Amino acid sequence: MANPFDLLARHELVVVTGKGGVGKTVVAAALGAGLAARGRRAVVLEVDPRESLHQVFGASPSGGAIVEVGERLAFQNLRPRQVLDDLVRARLPLGILARRTLRSPIYEHVAEGAPGLKELAVLLHARELGAARGVVVLDAPATGHALSLLAAPGLVSEVVEKGPFGALAAELAAWIADPERCALVAVTAAEEMPAQETLELLAALRRELGRDADLLVVNGLYPPLPPPPGAARVPALWRERRGLNERELERLAAAWRGPRAELPLLPRERGPDLLAELVARLGSDLAEGGG
Amino acid sequence: MTLDLAADAPRLLVLVGAGGVGKTTLAAALAAASAARGRDTLVMTFDPSLRLKDALGVGEEARERAVEVPLAAPGVLAASLLDARRTFDGLVARYAPDAAARDRILGNRFYRHLAGHLGGILEYMAVERLFEAAADERWRRLVLDTPPARQALDFLAAPARIVGFLDSGALRLALRPWFDERGRLRPARRLGPLGRRAERTLDELVGLDLLRDMAEFFAAFAPLFAGFRRRALEVQALLRSPRTLFLLVAAPGEERAADTLFFARQLVGEGYRLGPILVNRVHPRQPAPADAPAALAEGLRLCHWLGERDHRGLAHLRALLGAERPPLPVPLLAREPTSLRELAALGETLAASRHST
Repeated sequence: MANPFDLLARHELVVVTGKGGVGKTVVAAALGAGLAARGRRAVVLEVDPRESLHQVFGASPSGGAIVEVGERLAFQNLRPRQVLDDLVRARLPLGILARRTLRSPIYEHVAEGAPGLKELAVLLHARELGAARGVVVLDAPATGHALSLLAAPGLVSEVVEKGPFGALAAELAAWIADPERCALVAVTAAEEMPAQETLELLAALRRELGRDADLLVVNGLYPPLPPPPGAARVPALWRERRGLNERELERLAAAWRGPRAELPLLPRERGPDLLAELVARLGSDLAEGGG
Repeated sequence: MTLDLAADAPRLLVLVGAGGVGKTTLAAALAAASAARGRDTLVMTFDPSLRLKDALGVGEEARERAVEVPLAAPGVLAASLLDARRTFDGLVARYAPDAAARDRILGNRFYRHLAGHLGGILEYMAVERLFEAAADERWRRLVLDTPPARQALDFLAAPARIVGFLDSGALRLALRPWFDERGRLRPARRLGPLGRRAERTLDELVGLDLLRDMAEFFAAFAPLFAGFRRRALEVQALLRSPRTLFLLVAAPGEERAADTLFFARQLVGEGYRLGPILVNRVHPRQPAPADAPAALAEGLRLCHWLGERDHRGLAHLRALLGAERPPLPVPLLAREPTSLRELAALGETLAASRHST
């Protein structure tokens, strides 16, 4: 049975999604670091106005720049609006036209409100970065927003049918849809609401993108309960939470037959130590289906 | 500073906070405690989990209207689920001046694309539903859960942004050189050579069809715009009213404490009333393991570490917030509340809490 890094050996883009609070960012960082350790060049992209990825690497915030954190590993924080503005600047032939466009209140409204534009810009950036620097691991926004991100190219190409933007949107839509080139990783906790939301996400992916996720990562598991007589000394919290974890793991395994990685809750602050431990744990074999 | 759910005020409680902190569960629990104190209460949630829906006993009908929850309490507890997609169409249907105008909008290709995917539409629809619920005298208390957001205050910015986007005046002005009042393309000869070249460029860039659909949409939407704008302004007034209280829900992690402070300051700075900051799911402190066999020690170490981590985070937040605004810790329950009884019990814990010293 393969491990996640074998599974992701040839993809150009790895989109990591999950509900807020399940450890998606740390898992994305671990996937990037693990791939880099095994010889691929990797960049981990964070799309969040509040930077937190840098903490996992023990580095300073990116502020939009690409930060090298290892021989083959780097990370970058993206602000979608900034990326869109840069795209407009690059594509509008005349500097003066670009400046006037970017300053107009109409552009402001359209950039913020119009569906798909910012997401398109992020995906285009990911593709161009990947071509230059290896695999891109995208720490996507939390669940609902991630679906918008992935659906954006298709949406835009439906509305803007012609011209360079229409063509671009269609190209990106094909890229995202190709399971050989773009992998989807869903991260969840073995708790009721995240597990439920994850199963709904997986169903939505199938329905709206005609695709399945490639890997499910269940994060934050409490350790298995010790056998008696130790069992008597287990605090209620541990006992209840582990029980919940086991029930939700069962539910997830029943509904999702694909590859599944399980990660423990570790007594480590976010940082390089936690990252190293997670990379090591991810390197072990995956569970599959009901197993 | 405590929250007195038995009193008349606040009439509206708004729960804000980042995704994954437990807002929806707390909203339901607070609403149960409010009903237990004799006030007919409506809780408005976004996409609660299956179990929460089961616990509240609400099904798909709660997307259409408020559904009573079978809580044995002196006051009524009702719940409604917010469904953005459905709501926008409903609004257009309700406020369009006539059937022809309504059909023109609903059938417009640009509208159909927009209604499902416009940035901030979920938040804006919550605002519209809130407006309706607040006008209903029946509810002595409203508890509004807000959509999970990366930025805790996305919810407040969204309506203004949507109204700005829909401001058909500005957009129509921009589209006017090419399209007349009814959204019909002006004859090319009237544009002059410069206009014709611009027209070709635009056609190449995005297609004139799209621009025509946009022009038609904004022309058809104009009569509704005034209503949208008025309601957005009224909800703004409601949100700033002295009878509205915001509750910021945060996780205990130390690394988020600065963000929590930032949001708290932003809320207060923009004129919203902020109640106790609820620090949710705080792990209990456990002694460090001494003398335990390996399998047990690992788990005990973890439990100890979690308790210490949360305790440190809470202390850090308390230091940042100062004596004026002490955070209210909400202990992590061994079991997630999945029944009405458990939600009501959590509600009682919240109602009885005093701020931590």
